Amino acid sequence: MRILLFVAGVAVLGWGAFLLAEFALPLGPQGMVALGWLLGGPLAHDLLVAPIAAVAGMLLVRVVPATWRAPVQVGVAITAVLTLLAFPLLWREFGAAPSPGLHDGDTATGLLLTLVAVWSVVLVTGTSRVLLAARNEKRAAPDEDRIRCGAFTRGYRLRMAGVGLGRTRGRASGVTSPRRVDRRG
Amino acid sequence: MRPRFRFRGLAHDERVTARVGRWLGIAFAVCFVTGLISHFVQHPAGIFAWPSRPVNLYRVTQGLHVISGIAAIPLLLAKLWSVYPKLFARPVVRSPLHAIERGSILVLSGAAFFQLLTGLFNIAQNYPWNFYFPTAHYAVSWIAIGSILVHVAVKLPVIRSGLRKDPTAAAKPDDHLGLSRRGFLRGTWLTAGVAVVATAGATVPLLRGVSGLSWRSGKGPQGVPVNRTASAAGVVDAARNPQWTLEVVAPAGTRRFTLAELAAMPQTTAELPIACVEGWSQPATWTGVPVADLLGEVGARPGAEVDVVSLEQDGLYARSTLPGEHTADPLSLLALRVNGEVLDIDHGYPCRVIAPNRPGVLQTKWVQRLEVR
Repeated sequence: MRILLFVAGVAVLGWGAFLLAEFALPLGPQGMVALGWLLGGPLAHDLLVAPIAAVAGMLLVRVVPATWRAPVQVGVAITAVLTLLAFPLLWREFGAAPSPGLHDGDTATGLLLTLVAVWSVVLVTGTSRVLLAARNEKRAAPDEDRIRCGAFTRGYRLRMAGVGLGRTRGRASGVTSPRRVDRRG
Repeated sequence: MRPRFRFRGLAHDERVTARVGRWLGIAFAVCFVTGLISHFVQHPAGIFAWPSRPVNLYRVTQGLHVISGIAAIPLLLAKLWSVYPKLFARPVVRSPLHAIERGSILVLSGAAFFQLLTGLFNIAQNYPWNFYFPTAHYAVSWIAIGSILVHVAVKLPVIRSGLRKDPTAAAKPDDHLGLSRRGFLRGTWLTAGVAVVATAGATVPLLRGVSGLSWRSGKGPQGVPVNRTASAAGVVDAARNPQWTLEVVAPAGTRRFTLAELAAMPQTTAELPIACVEGWSQPATWTGVPVADLLGEVGARPGAEVDVVSLEQDGLYARSTLPGEHTADPLSLLALRVNGEVLDIDHGYPCRVIAPNRPGVLQTKWVQRLEVR
C-alpha cells in the first residue's frame, strides 16, 4: 500500500515536473518568475509569516487575560486569513480593469463588515466566558478562589521563572475554545 | 548550536498535524479532480467526454474547485504551523534518505503555496507575474498532488498514530497558556469555515448577501456579471451594425440569417447558469433559437460538432467548439434575450451561445458564424 502510493506519487510528480519543464525551459523570463513564485511561498512562509505568527502569539499570551485568550487568538487568525483573501481584490496594480458585475464590488467595506461580525462574536464569546468563570469562582472554595483570581498574571510570571503552575492556571483559563464552556459550565 | 527558544504551543503535535493534514489532503484532492475536469472540458482529449446535463454540473465542480482552494489556505497555514518546529530540527540532515524527505517537503510546500496563491490572484483577475496562468497552474497541480501522495506514503505510520484517539486526552491537565490541541483544531476549522462563508457567495446564491469578499457583485447589466465587455473585445460597432447577419456554414451549404429572421424562428426559453472558470456563477433565463434547429436549417444533423466564431477578432474568447453532445441538446441556445430583455451588448448582442454545463469562457458572445464540422 505504502509502496504503491509512493510509486504513484513519484510518477505523478514526474509528469508534473515534465509539464513544468516544458513550460519553463529553456529558462526565460517567464520560467524565472514562475520558479520565483514556486520558491517564494515556502521562503516567505518560513522566514516571515511563521515568525510573525510566533511573535504575535507570544505577545497575545502576555497581553490578553487567560479567559479571553482563545477567542482573541482565533479572531486574530481569522482576521489575518480574511485580509489575505481580500488582498488580491484590494491591491490591483496588476489587476484587470473591473467589468460590470466583476471585481467592481466594495471589497474594503465587505472586509470591514465581515471583521466587525467576527469580532462581535469574539466579544460575545469572551464576555460569556468571563461571566461563566465568575460564576464558577463563586461556587468554588475560598482558598482555591484566591489562587484563581491572580492566576493568569501571577501564573505567567512563575512560568517564565520556570515554575509550573499549569493546573491551576489551566482551570482559571478554564476553556480553550468557545464550545468547551458549555461542557464545563 | 541549540536554538535559544522553544516552541511550547500544544499545536505542535502530530495529532494536530494529522487531523489538519487529512482535511488539507481532501481539499487538494477536490481541487485536483475538479481542476482536471475543467482542463479537459476546455482542452478535450481522447476518451474524456463531458455531458451536457445536469445543467449545473460545471457550476458545482468549478465552484468546489475555488471554494476548496480557499478553505485550503487556512488549512495549509495551520498544518505548517503545527510542524514549524521541525524546520529547526538538528542535525539538519541525518541521512541521504532524510535529505530526500526534507527536499520533498520543500517541493510539496512550494507547489501548494504556488497553487493556492496563483489561484487566489486569478479569481481576482490580478496577475503580478508574466507567465500564462492556466499552463503554470495546470503543470504545478500535478507536482502538488504527486508530492502529496509521496508525503502521505512516507508519513503513513505517523499519520496512523496521529489519527488514533488519545485515551489520556481528557485526563491531561490543560497545562498551557495558549490554545490547547483541541482549541487549535477548532480554531482552524472555524477559520476555514469563515473563509468559505466570506467568499462562497460568488457562486452559492444563499450566501450572496453574506460573502463580503465575493469577487462578483450584483452590478452586472440584466443581473448577470460581465467578464469581457464589448468595448474590451473591440466589437461595439460590428455588433451594433444593422447589416449584421449570422452565417451558418455546413458541408451541404451556407445560410445567412438576419436578426429578424432568427427572432421569427421558434424560441426556447431555459434557465441556465453562466459558470465561470474563476468560480463565480449566475443563473439567468435565456431565450433563443436552439442550435439543433439552426443545424436543421442547413441540412446538418444535431450532434455534429460546431465551431462558434465571434465578431471578436482574436484571443481566448474569439472562438469555441460546441461538442456533438451539446449541439444535440435542445437547451443549447443561440440566445437573443436574457431575463426578458434583448441581450445587453456586454452579454453578446446580437446573439450569443449559451449551452448547459459549460464553462463561461466557452459561451461565445457576439456570434458571427457557426461552422458545422
